[in-house]
Amino acid sequence: MERLEQLLLTPKLVQQAPTSELIRGRAKQNRPSPLTIFYGETYDDKGNPIDSLKYYLVVSALAAALKKEGIAVEPTILVADSAACRNVGDEKQGEIMRLGEHRFQFVQRTNEVYGTDLRVRKMSDYVTSPEFVTRRGKIVELCNGDQELMRAVEKTVPESKTDTERTKGFLYSFDEITTIVNLDLKVGPPREDLYDNVARAVAKRRKEKEIMSLFLSPTFPLGMGWSYFFVNEGIEDHGITAYKAGSKRLQRQRIIVGASNPDYVRSLLDNSFISLNPSLPNPVLDIGLICEMARRKLTGDNSPISLAQEFYTGEISPNQLKKKVGQDVETYVLSKF
Amino acid sequence: MTDPERTQALLDIAKIDFEAKQRHWEEKKGYFSDKTTELDLKSTQRFADYYPDPNQLLKAGIVFAHRDLESVATAIDEKKPWAVISGLNPSGPLHFGHKLVFDELLWLQKQGADVYIPITNDESYLVGKAETIGASRRTAHEAVIPSIVSMGFDPQKTHIYVDSDFPDIYNMAVQLSKHLSLSKVFGVFGLGDKSRKKDQNSEGDEDENPGTMFYRGAVQLAQILLPQYDEFGGPKPTLIPVGIDQYPYVLLARDVAKKVGLTPPAALFLKFEHGLDGKGKMSASRPGSSIFLTDDPKVAQKKVRNAYTGGSILADFQREHGGVPGVCPIYHLRTYHFEEDGGKLETQCVRGEILCGECKKIASEQAANFLVDHQARLPEARKRAGDFMLRTPITSFLNKK
Repeated sequence: MERLEQLLLTPKLVQQAPTSELIRGRAKQNRPSPLTIFYGETYDDKGNPIDSLKYYLVVSALAAALKKEGIAVEPTILVADSAACRNVGDEKQGEIMRLGEHRFQFVQRTNEVYGTDLRVRKMSDYVTSPEFVTRRGKIVELCNGDQELMRAVEKTVPESKTDTERTKGFLYSFDEITTIVNLDLKVGPPREDLYDNVARAVAKRRKEKEIMSLFLSPTFPLGMGWSYFFVNEGIEDHGITAYKAGSKRLQRQRIIVGASNPDYVRSLLDNSFISLNPSLPNPVLDIGLICEMARRKLTGDNSPISLAQEFYTGEISPNQLKKKVGQDVETYVLSKF
Repeated sequence: MTDPERTQALLDIAKIDFEAKQRHWEEKKGYFSDKTTELDLKSTQRFADYYPDPNQLLKAGIVFAHRDLESVATAIDEKKPWAVISGLNPSGPLHFGHKLVFDELLWLQKQGADVYIPITNDESYLVGKAETIGASRRTAHEAVIPSIVSMGFDPQKTHIYVDSDFPDIYNMAVQLSKHLSLSKVFGVFGLGDKSRKKDQNSEGDEDENPGTMFYRGAVQLAQILLPQYDEFGGPKPTLIPVGIDQYPYVLLARDVAKKVGLTPPAALFLKFEHGLDGKGKMSASRPGSSIFLTDDPKVAQKKVRNAYTGGSILADFQREHGGVPGVCPIYHLRTYHFEEDGGKLETQCVRGEILCGECKKIASEQAANFLVDHQARLPEARKRAGDFMLRTPITSFLNKK
């Protein structure tokens, strides 16, 4: 099996992906332009979670697999600093932009550590450009004239924030849609399907190419018992926000690169819910997969990742997995930043 | 009638019987999921998925729905105190339907719960199931309590009381009844609805005596909320494992708990034990439907042998078409009480790989073996019964609004 297929079929890492034929087909259609592989994220003031690294490494691995087939690619990580500023007061703008710079540097550091060759951009670099503003204006106009599209745009916002966003003309959503509408392959968490669907609908109306979505498995907090997952119905579908360490105020249940102490991380892993049922969340395995990707980059190992199979077939016990991940996260991630 | 004619007639009867059983199952199989939806309950599947070591009743969906189990789950996971309460009307000796509930109580105790078991002999008297309060009290002490004790409960975490021996429960009932209105009680139990027939299997009838009203509206409430009184450590998550017909009590208790500053109790709903006669749930009022825990094991075996089944009158027909386990009390007896993998038995039955004779033989041996062991433990259980009785005087109600 080709590396691309292996990557797309990695259990518990990739939740939903276009077929390899579709990706290759799009690359062919794009020639001589490169295939854009994109991941965008915001951030908060609680640091850089290891879960962002999962997305960077997957984007990089996709790019490497396609390059190996002779396909030109442009793997891009977007730090959506101006989006992060949209919902805060003026007094906090400077701080948010500074944090955006930190996240930008984190991606650059990832490139240095793992040789990932990711192109990193900030939203603030283009969001006020005449070209972007014109494109966004056309999309806003198209959506405003189409009830169905506008309803889909409204759905991108949590119900509790709909009224506030309406007064702002849903600018946050339109920035996102305008950013992604002409991309090829967008990597993201499953909750971004709402944006991706609007982007596809807009592209369809404009008779342009539609983005392909690749969703990674959701992120779950560490150090939580089974009851947390039982009580939080629906968490299986969307988890918590991967790129915000303080998502749902659970920053103490996350591994924050450059800040988390390895002993604390081990205790988090030791106290994490783990189940042999592959349909249930497995936060320990999730970190294990990130470590496996990191190790492969550092050691030049190109073999497929089989950690999930090893765990669910009983080759590795829950305790062995926790121990291995505790060691690996220190060796291949925490010690490198 | 010639032999071929007779064979054909038997085949026709077998076909009619099989189709009738299938129709019966089609009609009833959605009952519990429909009730879950109708009463806005949640399936226990999610709990069974996440709980590290669910019991067979959960895994098989015999404990099928819950209300607010989240509060209890958090207490279990965080090793905080929580309680279980399940009452019992001592109108006769316990049968396998009761055993099902006590199996669940025992499992919940092993998960950390303090178990409270009110023996409601006042109710037995009020609803006419016992001639005197003394008679139902005797049944409680002589038959019911030793049977419960012999099931293996931990005396440190089990609190049994007989209502008439524990008058504080009435003081609590008086205190709590102030937080209820008659219209609320009437509404929850459907009392005063003249369209309801007296023999309908539902709570409430306006001809009932005031004692029954007081029992249903207030004494049961006191029993449910007792574990949260100061004498037992104050408010805590409390779980009531019950049949779906008991839901009105849960609603009433949740409503009052909120008013008096206690934690609204959660509930876990169990499917009914099927009567051996195939005519509804196992009930002491239809002795042929029940295996009592006091039955001689040989009598129990005979009851099993004579039981209705989901099988066919013709062995060959059943081998070809299989049985209908959903309507079969023997299938339920085995899966509710003895089998680790009910799904396997269901498959064997549906495929015609096991016939009723063999299945009954296994079930009768399982039931008899259980009874032999259970009854052997009774003399010792009688001696130890005092260790399980709740004797804590309740005075905290004196200062409660």
